[in-house]
Amino acid sequence: MEALLDYAWLVVVLPLASAVAIAAFGKNLPWKGSELGIASLAISWVLSVLIAYQTFIMSPMEEPVEFSYEWAPMGSEFVFELGMLVDGLTAVMLLLVTTVSLMVHIYSREYMHGEKRFTYFFAMLSLFTFSMLMLVIANNLVQAVVGWELVGVCSYLLIGFYWEEKSNQDAANKAFLTTKFADVGLIVGVVVLSAGMFGLDTSTPFNIREINAAATAGELSTTTVVLGMLMIFLGCMAKSGQMPLHVWLPDAMAGPTPVSALIHAATMVTAGVFVLARLFPVLAQSIVVMNVIAVVGVITLFFGGLLALVQDDIKKVLAYSTVSQLGYMVAAIGVGGYTASVFHLFTHGFFKALLFLGAGSLIHAVHSNNMSDMGGMAKAMPYTFVTFIIGTLALAGFPLTAGFFSKDEILIAGEIWAGAGFATGHLVYWVGIAAAFVTTFYMARACFLIFAGENRSHHPPHESGKQMVGPLVVLAVLSIASGYIFSPVWTAEQNFETWTETEFITEETVYPFAADADEGGEAAGIPGAGGIQGDGVLAAGSEPSVLAAAEDGELTVLHGAPTWHFDLLALLLVVFFAAVGVAWKFYGKGPPDRDPTMQMGPVTTALVNKYGFDAFGYRYIVVPVRDTWARAASYSSNVLIDGAVSGVGRVTKNAAFATYRVLDQKVIDGGVNGAAFSAAWWSERLKRTQSGNVQRYAAALVAGTIVLVVAFAAAT
Amino acid sequence: MSLVGPLILATFLFCVGIYGVIARRNAVLVLISVELMLNAVNINLVAFQNLLFPDELAVSGLMFALFIIGVAAAEVGVGLAIVFNMFRNRASVNVDDVDLMRW
Repeated sequence: MEALLDYAWLVVVLPLASAVAIAAFGKNLPWKGSELGIASLAISWVLSVLIAYQTFIMSPMEEPVEFSYEWAPMGSEFVFELGMLVDGLTAVMLLLVTTVSLMVHIYSREYMHGEKRFTYFFAMLSLFTFSMLMLVIANNLVQAVVGWELVGVCSYLLIGFYWEEKSNQDAANKAFLTTKFADVGLIVGVVVLSAGMFGLDTSTPFNIREINAAATAGELSTTTVVLGMLMIFLGCMAKSGQMPLHVWLPDAMAGPTPVSALIHAATMVTAGVFVLARLFPVLAQSIVVMNVIAVVGVITLFFGGLLALVQDDIKKVLAYSTVSQLGYMVAAIGVGGYTASVFHLFTHGFFKALLFLGAGSLIHAVHSNNMSDMGGMAKAMPYTFVTFIIGTLALAGFPLTAGFFSKDEILIAGEIWAGAGFATGHLVYWVGIAAAFVTTFYMARACFLIFAGENRSHHPPHESGKQMVGPLVVLAVLSIASGYIFSPVWTAEQNFETWTETEFITEETVYPFAADADEGGEAAGIPGAGGIQGDGVLAAGSEPSVLAAAEDGELTVLHGAPTWHFDLLALLLVVFFAAVGVAWKFYGKGPPDRDPTMQMGPVTTALVNKYGFDAFGYRYIVVPVRDTWARAASYSSNVLIDGAVSGVGRVTKNAAFATYRVLDQKVIDGGVNGAAFSAAWWSERLKRTQSGNVQRYAAALVAGTIVLVVAFAAAT
Repeated sequence: MSLVGPLILATFLFCVGIYGVIARRNAVLVLISVELMLNAVNINLVAFQNLLFPDELAVSGLMFALFIIGVAAAEVGVGLAIVFNMFRNRASVNVDDVDLMRW
């Protein structure tokens, strides 16, 4: 089994192979290429399950499996690697990505049936999956960036899948450009981190393990850590839909629904959170970085959730809920909830894929995205109804669903963080609870509008086929079951935390800025030179809380096995039932004539206008870029750069002609021809010595003999 | 015994032979001139044999002379045959007329 991990790269390569194969000859196959995608993903999934089994059940390991080969050696001291790094975190992501992707592949067979670009769609799905897996398994940041950008390209292609419509093209462009803008930050951050590594004795400055090791050992300067991680976080903000760079995410609903499921659950928005988790040992060196991340996450989780209130498009409701849930994950990273964040990423992947696929099933049935066109779907579509409700409960964090365990873990992480004296912990805790109310409310609203009341669609709804319902059922089971691997019912020795702990995030790991330099830092072998020293920037006057998980009250990165928090459970139950009750009051009898979320005056105005981000972006970014910068860029490109290039070309051409005329024609050709002509001239004359007259030859012989005799005589 | 006499004789004969080979037009006379040169060498060989080994029974110089006489006979045979063919093809024994092997 151990050797299995060495073949983890197969998980990545198989989707790529299937993408290429589908593109090459998918159209000629009986299932139009979809069987290739499903088969390769199935194999990848089995491998991922085995890898997860190995890393989780068999031996939770601190020493990851890493190997790489030199991709591009730049001299002796600097090597670009191409390799893989498999530890618990990678295994979690592999399992999540392949599971969701496999479900989406199967689901898409029926959902996309009869589309004219069916084969293309499946090739892109496989490529998309490959890109994300490439990012997940990368052992160095350059490779991760490559995977990251491939994810961006694939999302662009899939969001713009129905490219015949201008609005879909615009959505694809928006997604691409927004993420690309932030990717500049990502690349700068990667370069900054590796520049910090250049000072150290290493030939692979991009290696993730070495960066983490250097950061943990405090060898990276504060500037490197803060600047590098903030720039990387900028990239993560766009990819993971954090405000204010979330604007592309709702528009990305223009793509086919299975793609939305894939983007929102597994392959795109999770990339940012994954990179933050991967580099958690680095960002944990600096309270500044963590505070920025926490604040951005909190803003996103609350205000992103609010936006879902006024949406009529079911996919947009889910899109904003994704923004909100990603806010939870990012905020969790910012308050030291490493495990909680990855755990929420894991469970969220399942139930958000479930919700999107359920929404796709509904849309498939009524041919409309709008909830106002649905209603009364519970009877017609029982499987979709039940699974969608399960997904909703998980998303809302109803007790004993997966979302409950993971979201509560985030809230508790905030509580522990607050207990250690950091104000952002309180922020995450209370805003997180408030956002739970918002989440429950808009999901309850959506459910009542969709399933309750009379049917308002123009198509009599019908249950979807087996290939769509099957994935829904599987994901519904996972939406509940996946929560239990990090719950009080699982053992303390083996749970999600021991699974995702890495060599740098162990039970002893503490925060350099939080620990007293005397105790915690040295105990964990961390000098703490990299972080801000002392009790933390925001720590003034607070006392360590008894809630801190470590027994001595010391703040550690890992919080230990979870326990029941009945106070929080009670609070969340109250919040849940309050939100459902309010939603029932307004929407329980079918859609109200005057939707209360649309009657909130300026709040509604702000929400409908999406806080003005789109208008702002259009007015101050799109228009100036399009009308001014683009023109200037076009001028500089067409006139300045092209002029310089063609000028250089012209000079080169003239120089070449001169060379041709003088050097080539005169000197070289002259020499060659001259040699030939002189040979001809001389031979014309020398040939006359061959007269055929024997006596002349004899005379020459005699003369030669005489010359030789005289010469020898003179020599002696 | 003095070597001067034989050497002068040999030189004279050789020079006459060279002159004949180069200057005469008649192929037969060219062959005869070659014989003169060979015999000049023979005189030399005999003279030096006599000078270097007067009392011994060494005959190497004489042996060479005999060889040369033999070779000369063979040469005359081949040469006359060529001259014969020349005459039959061209009705002339003038070496100037035979210059087919030219440029």
